[in-house]
Formats: sequence, structure tokens, C-alpha cells
Amino acid sequence: MSKNNTIIEIKGLNHWYGNFHVLKEINLETRRSSCVVICGPSGSGKSTLLRCINGLEVFKEGDVIINGKSVSQCFHNHKELYKLRSKFGMVFQHFELYPHMRVLDNITLAPRRVLCLSKNEAEKSAMALLEKVGILEQAYKYPANLSGGQQQRVAIARALAMNPDILLFDEPTSALDPEMIRDVLKVMADLAKEGMTMLVVTHEMGFANAVADEIVFMEEGNIIEHDDAVTFFKCPKSNRAVEFVDRILVHI
Amino acid sequence: MLNYTFDWSVIWRHPYGGWLLEGILITIQLSILAWGIALFLGVIIASLRNLPQKWVKAVAAAYVETFRNIPLLVQLFFWYFAAPELLPYSARQWLYQNIEPTTLSYYTAIISLSLFTSSRIAEHARSGFSSIPKGQYLAAFSTGLNTLQVYRYVIIPYTIRVFIPPLTTEFVTIFKNSALAMTLGVTETTFMSQRIDSYTFHGLEATIGAMVIYLLISLSVSGLMGFVERFLYIPGLIRKR
Repeated sequence: MSKNNTIIEIKGLNHWYGNFHVLKEINLETRRSSCVVICGPSGSGKSTLLRCINGLEVFKEGDVIINGKSVSQCFHNHKELYKLRSKFGMVFQHFELYPHMRVLDNITLAPRRVLCLSKNEAEKSAMALLEKVGILEQAYKYPANLSGGQQQRVAIARALAMNPDILLFDEPTSALDPEMIRDVLKVMADLAKEGMTMLVVTHEMGFANAVADEIVFMEEGNIIEHDDAVTFFKCPKSNRAVEFVDRILVHI
Repeated sequence: MLNYTFDWSVIWRHPYGGWLLEGILITIQLSILAWGIALFLGVIIASLRNLPQKWVKAVAAAYVETFRNIPLLVQLFFWYFAAPELLPYSARQWLYQNIEPTTLSYYTAIISLSLFTSSRIAEHARSGFSSIPKGQYLAAFSTGLNTLQVYRYVIIPYTIRVFIPPLTTEFVTIFKNSALAMTLGVTETTFMSQRIDSYTFHGLEATIGAMVIYLLISLSVSGLMGFVERFLYIPGLIRKR
């Protein structure tokens, strides 16, 4: 793994919520254009880890280096912090579309206000993105009038609209009906194929198996195992990962 | 049996009609002024309660609990009869000599009404703010918007939609509460209807007149707010009326 191919480098990251030690000495390197799936039981710190990476969570110890730039340095400079965040796209479990804005406005808000694109420009690329995620015809509707799967695809389009270097997915399919999960996973798989750098917190082991380059298994704030996908599923090293994979695969 | 001759003309006959009209105008003036101040104060107090500093939160909470939990009538009496006694002697003298008693009672009524209502609005605004999912902040911040933009484009427009229906209730309530201002001698609708009674002994007609006036005001205010709600209507957020 050559150094200049590393896009995210997490070094000795520790974080606490009050007295609760939620992330314990996390070290992780991610290559550009790789798709990393982070899995593990709930409460293991997966979502928190994502939020530390894009500076949504002000972590207490250690550092995250994005493209050679230190995230913790940005904590003292709000402008830098906003700029850092704009380089990421984030997709949430509950979509978090802005309910008072039409789909199109949801997507164009940040490009217009952060990147200062004109309304026309922003809308043109938003329409292209909507076409890409397969819901062009929903552009002028409000989020509440869309199905969950459609809403999540809007959320992905919104994340892509900022032209991010890295996409973060926080359990993107956990709130979806089974038949809608496929549509969303398909969009994500396409993005991975195009070479987008992606960190995906998910329980979809089918997706992990088919799309992920690497798997990170977390428990109680620790990274228990970090392997390439093939190794992780064929011969996981830690007992906990074996148990977890077994349980999830049996469930499927 | 009932030995009473109705004379409905006390509602419009000169000079009574004029009194009632003046009463209506003062009711509306008083309520709208107090409403404006209450909305302003209420939103500020709610925002203070949203800040991380503990002591600021505590002060704002104390404000809300105090004004919300003491009857409005007692608050009116406090500001009118008791509060001036707390002023230094010279200030009190100046107040009583330079400001007409009617003006004084009018403004006292506005202050009491707006403080009382602001505490109620602050509660609605606070529950409005706290009803916004935390993920909305995360989503907005994750795209690189700054704090001001997050509030301006996402949080406040969202909050307003949650906040409007209880606001309608408070707006209607303030017109009804303004009737208590008569106890300070403010010549609003209720005061005028009582005055017509004492001049004509036709209290039945005068009071029913006042009742109809309040009913009409309340219904028009609800109608107006219904229009505002329809204007701000968004699928999934505000119920269509």
C-alpha cells in the first residue's frame, strides 16, 4: 500500500461520550477508490467513527488525516471545518431529507450555498444525478411523497452533488423495506465500481461480500478485525467475527 | 315572568355604539402589540434555553415557569399596583405626574399580557426546536453548510411549520385574555360593554354584544392563521385544513 494512495488515515483515535469510551485507540488506513464496509453489533461505535472522519463529531484524542490534511487542526477554524465536511458526502439511516424542500432543492441547497453555483448550474447537475440514481421523475415532489427507497436515492444524489472525494454511508438500508433495499444497494455498487471511495456501515453482508474491498469488524469501540473481504468471509481470524458472520449468514 | 324589554339599539346607538367601537379598536391594538412583543421575547427565550451554557438555560427556564404559572390577573395587579412601589420615590413621582393614568394602565396591560404570553410561546418554540430530528443538523452540516446557513435554510423553516399550529391557539387566546385589562381600567371591549350597562341598565344586550365581538374576532384570527398554514403547507409536515 503506497503512502500517496492513502486517502483516510486514522491515528490513535479515541472518543468519549461523557464517561463512555465509545472509540478506543482506532487505527485505520483507507486507500483511494476502495469500498470499506464497517460492521459489528450495534453500539460498537461504527456511526461515531464515520462522524469523526468528516468532522461532525469533535473527537477528543488522536487524529484523522484526509488527503494529508489533519481533521483535528480544523476544530479550531470553523471555515476549515466546513470546507473539510464539504469534501464528504454522507447518507443516513433515516435519509434526513429536508422535508420542507422539494427533491430538487434538497440536492441543490449545498452546491448553491457552499460552492456558490448558480441556480441553473446546480439544477442541471442535480437532474443528471437524479437520472443516475433512477428517479428523475420525482424531482419536483416533496420527500414525504416518495417511498423510502426513493428518498434514500435522493439522499445519495444530494451527497454526490457536492462532488465529494469520499462517501460515508451510515446504515443506509436499515430503515428500508426489503424490496427497496436492492435499488439502493445497486446504486451504491455502481458508485463503488466507478471508483468512488466509500465507507459503509451496514449489516448487509451480501453487499459486503459482493462489493467491499475490505471489511472492518468493530465491537465495543475497538476494531477487532480488518481484512480484505475474501479473507474476512472465508477465514475470519477472531472468534467474535466468526460468531458475527455465522449469525448474520444464518439469518440470511 | 320575565319582565324585561330588550333594547338592542344600546349596541349601536349614539354614544354607546361609538364606545363599543373604540373598545374593539383598543382590544385589537392591545392584543396585536402584546402579541408582537410576546413572539419576539418568546423566541429569544426559547433560543436561550437551547444554548449549552447551564446558567443561561436556568435563567430562561425560571422566566418561563414564573410567568406561565402565575394567573394573568395576579400578574396584571402586580405590574399595576405592586411593581411601581418597588421604584425609587422620585421615579414613582415622575411616573404618576407625567404619564396619564389611562396610558399607564394601557401599557401595563400590554407588558403583563406580553410577558405572560411570551412564556407560553417560549414553551411552544422550545418543543418546536426539540422536535427537529438531530439527523437534520447532521445532514445539513455534513454538506459543508455553516451554522448560520444550517439554521436559515433547514432548521428554522422546518421549526416554523411545527410551531405555527400552537401559535394560532396562542394568538386567539391573547385576544380573549386582553379582556382582563378592564380590571386596570383599560377601555377595551369588555370595559365598554360594562360601561354601557351602567349607563343604560341594558347589560344583557351589551354583554351579548361583547360576546359576539370576541367570537367574531377569534374566528377571524383562526381563519387568518388557517390561511397562513395553507400557505406554508408541506406534505408530511403541516396538516391541511
